[in-house]
Amino acid sequence: MITSNLELIPGMRVAEHLGIVQGSTVRAKHVGKDLFASLKNIVGGELKSYTELMQEARAEAVARMEAEARSIGANGVLNVRFATTSITAGAAEILAYGSAVRLVEA
Amino acid sequence: MGALLEIGLFVTLLALGYGVGRVLERRHYASIRRRERELADVLAFTMRFPPASTRAQDAFLVCGSVVVSSDYFKTFVAGLRGLVGGRFRGYESLLERARREALLRLKQDALARGARLVVCVRFESTSITSGRTPSIEVVAYGTALVPRPR
Amino acid sequence: MKLRNRAPAEGINAGEEHPLREFAWLAGGAIAVLVAAVVALSLGAQWLAPKLPYRYEARLVGELPAPAAPKDERGRAALAELQALADRLAARMALPEGLRVTVGLRDEGIVNAYATLGGHTVFFRGLVARLDSEDALATVMAHEIAHLALRHPAAALGRGLAVGLVLSVVSAEAGRGVAGAALGQTASLTLLSFNREQEREADRQALRVVAAEYGHVGGAIDLFEAFESMRRARGEGGAPQVEWLQTHPLTERRAQAARDWAAAHGVPADGARRPLPPALAALRGGAAVQR
Repeated sequence: MITSNLELIPGMRVAEHLGIVQGSTVRAKHVGKDLFASLKNIVGGELKSYTELMQEARAEAVARMEAEARSIGANGVLNVRFATTSITAGAAEILAYGSAVRLVEA
Repeated sequence: MGALLEIGLFVTLLALGYGVGRVLERRHYASIRRRERELADVLAFTMRFPPASTRAQDAFLVCGSVVVSSDYFKTFVAGLRGLVGGRFRGYESLLERARREALLRLKQDALARGARLVVCVRFESTSITSGRTPSIEVVAYGTALVPRPR
Repeated sequence: MKLRNRAPAEGINAGEEHPLREFAWLAGGAIAVLVAAVVALSLGAQWLAPKLPYRYEARLVGELPAPAAPKDERGRAALAELQALADRLAARMALPEGLRVTVGLRDEGIVNAYATLGGHTVFFRGLVARLDSEDALATVMAHEIAHLALRHPAAALGRGLAVGLVLSVVSAEAGRGVAGAALGQTASLTLLSFNREQEREADRQALRVVAAEYGHVGGAIDLFEAFESMRRARGEGGAPQVEWLQTHPLTERRAQAARDWAAAHGVPADGARRPLPPALAALRGGAAVQR
């Protein structure tokens, strides 16, 4: 599965456009790590646990998007974009969406 | 006695949120699937460049938006989930519904204006929290293309 | 290049798991953990607080103003009789070193009495006016002194602080939502059960002292039955009583517990009641006690 935010993959040609696919996930960290982050708010610096949370969430969202693409017979997702929304304090949604395509060698 | 009433009220709201909420959600999904089948010939892509064509095209912005609210049951479960960590299953289904609905409304907008192709589709979502219950607004916008008659 | 929109498979972005299962284990788990934490902290605080020597408690409350001291002749006489009764009963209990029981009398029609930090007890005129015998009054007095002897005010303070700390953490995370309110309620209900156990302990001590002083527990049974009839008179007779929502055990249960205790210890459940001392009896006439 080729995933890219490019419009065109060099050396490949789009044989068929199959539509929009999306992957999203809404996650939270458990209270222990959250408390630690609140303490960090006093001294500042990188909130490692939240960085980890967002990285995991983004990976999960991309994986779901690829799963949707696979389910419609695509072998690539192009023009991928990300969108993040905070739903409530402590809950963030990561959305990854793109165009599912069937790529062939150019 | 007062505490008993409070607990009773809480359980009633929870049951109402769950019962009615699930029914409404199922109905919404059924409506979404039906309309997706009906609008299957209005094509939408996130590609930036339209497919090469020799004909002149009319291009205009189309968009679809929706605001969906969480229910009492989902909010309660999300509160607990915030302590434990992990996936908010309730909110995930809420957002999926909102996104699919927004995309459908975008397609409906395009169809109403005579287009069958929308390119460069983008999604934006915002959280609107009134009181304790979060609501999500999702906007899908893109450029609709209509080939000019020869 | 062909263009089409194919519909992706369902269930990738929104899981198919039944929401009630998730709710059941989340809610059940959260309540179980919270109750366990409250119980553990309460037992710990309860065990620890009375071990603190009484003089620290006395120093803590040293700054608080003394309870109401009546200014008129009648009020002072009534208070003196209450204090004498308290001293007589306290002599039968093992009080912590340095604890002296002081009695206050407040001129309000509320039927209540309480014991608090520093060896202070406070009685309301309404309570004294409502009781028919010295036996019944002595039961209330012995009950409050038992709270002091067992260091319940200190234990309750320790419990409250420990649980308050846990709740502030929980509410910081789940607080704004309905989940926070629900978890707070769960913690409060768990604390109430500790309160009720303390009340039962104080009741048992009071029965022991009253039996020793008067030879029978008739006064105690009178007292609980008076509470029950007051409750019915307030119009709450018909409503079902739920013990786990209350700070004290149900009055019927307290009366029954008194009878059971008497039977178990071979003490008569009835006997001649001693009348109230004169100045206290005068309070029943509705004469006001000046602050």
